[in-house]
Amino acid sequence: MLSRDKKAMNDTLITLDNLGIGYEAHAVFAGISLAISRGSFTAILGANGSGKSTLLKTVLGLIPPVAGRIHVGPANAAAPTFGYVPQSTRFDPIYLLSGFDVALMGVYGRVRPWRMVPHSERAYTTECLRAAGAEPFAHKRFAELSGGQKQRVLIARALATRPDVLVLDEPTAGVDRETTRAVLEFISQIHQERKITVLLVTHDFASVRQHAEQVIWLYEGTVFHGETHELLSAERMAKIFEMGIG
Amino acid sequence: MDTLHQIISPDFLLRNSLYTSVLIGLACPLVGVFLVMRRLVFMGVALPQISSTGVAIALSLPLWMGVKLDHHASQSVHTLAFAGSMVFSLGAILILAVLERRGRGQPEGRLGTAYVVASALSILLLAKNPYGEIGWLDMLKGEVITISNFDLTLTAAALALVVATLGLFHKELLLVSFDREMALTLHKRVVFWDVLLYVLIGLTVSMAVLSVGPLIAFGFLLIPALTAHAVARTMHGFTILASLIGGATAFLGFCIAYGLDVPVGPTDVVLLGLLYAIVWGAARFMRKCAAP
Repeated sequence: MLSRDKKAMNDTLITLDNLGIGYEAHAVFAGISLAISRGSFTAILGANGSGKSTLLKTVLGLIPPVAGRIHVGPANAAAPTFGYVPQSTRFDPIYLLSGFDVALMGVYGRVRPWRMVPHSERAYTTECLRAAGAEPFAHKRFAELSGGQKQRVLIARALATRPDVLVLDEPTAGVDRETTRAVLEFISQIHQERKITVLLVTHDFASVRQHAEQVIWLYEGTVFHGETHELLSAERMAKIFEMGIG
Repeated sequence: MDTLHQIISPDFLLRNSLYTSVLIGLACPLVGVFLVMRRLVFMGVALPQISSTGVAIALSLPLWMGVKLDHHASQSVHTLAFAGSMVFSLGAILILAVLERRGRGQPEGRLGTAYVVASALSILLLAKNPYGEIGWLDMLKGEVITISNFDLTLTAAALALVVATLGLFHKELLLVSFDREMALTLHKRVVFWDVLLYVLIGLTVSMAVLSVGPLIAFGFLLIPALTAHAVARTMHGFTILASLIGGATAFLGFCIAYGLDVPVGPTDVVLLGLLYAIVWGAARFMRKCAAP
């Protein structure tokens, strides 16, 4: 029993302990307590403005928690590397960067400030672009790429960080249905092949059912957490919606 | 042709002014590129003016404190002016950047007010200051005439430092400008890189204002970068082209101003404006022709 608990502790990569999230001490959600396992595929679901991205940014350390704590990685171990895929629409088109230039930023964490990016890291970036299916358009202007192409470049950039956790903030926002399917298939594939922990923010229930193993669902001020097949079953969802209406 | 021959002669009397103009022309666009990319163009307008107010206040300090400066001690006057310029430009850029990041109030209104108040204050302070008579009012008008060997060396050293720092840390400065959140997830010290960039901008603006005045400083900070952006395809091309446009225009502007016996500053800025209009129009025409 003791060894099983210890194994569970070692498998836990991110622990949210009575966490409150929000901006400038104004809590959007409070009392979030849950654990995300190493190598899992977790989806954060919720309607627009429900606090999905706020939760994600708090986990990434981009905004401080309003209350509670976040433990990332096992104690006495190096902090895991996050490969962050933001929404592609937020980048300013004024930057004259190619897809390759953007993807190359993924290796900057391993290159000392005054050093040039070594050839091996450039080659690795090309490999990541190839893996993400972004190589054919990697040398085009990033700002001129389609939504789906930009997402592939950003996924390649996240892979170039050699991540322990791949964190995706609505990677298919503003992308057509066919590209959405292809992008999510690709994320699922690299999750299985590389055993990377995936944290995906989306409001697409259908894709979550198909790919995610567990779900964090932000609904009407309440956080639901559980296995995908259990939490998104017709009966459970009906109960949750009734609670919301009631 | 005769004018050009005179200007490039090593015995040319105003050679220090020429060298300084070209140095400022080459270096200012390198930091201007970051102002354009971070959409801080209005800051590029206000900063040189605020910097010159710093000069005016620094030169007024001895007067207000009843200390008499030796008129021949140009180095101590210059050091005082440099300190005033640096403190004001750095202070202003840090305060304005923090306010901009917090997204409070109207940034354009703030910068516009800072610009116009700084302009008026500089003129008022220098008009009542005996040190204003030793060339600072001319400088505010953009007349680049008397530049000592000391001024030239100081300008060259400061600008070399700026160029070297930008070159060494280009990828970090680009990353925090393009994607701050990504930089944070890579554990980059974003505030440190922001402050370093602001120090470089402040230093460049201070040197430019002290050497050639706020008018040229503003012109060279922004117009070459805006011109290069209309035609460049890559970040490296953008940066190098902006610097070359600045350097070449500074040289050409000096030649024209010397030949026609008009002030260098306004000549440079008008030339930069003309070039921008031509390049922007040509780039737009080419894009229309290339469109299917």
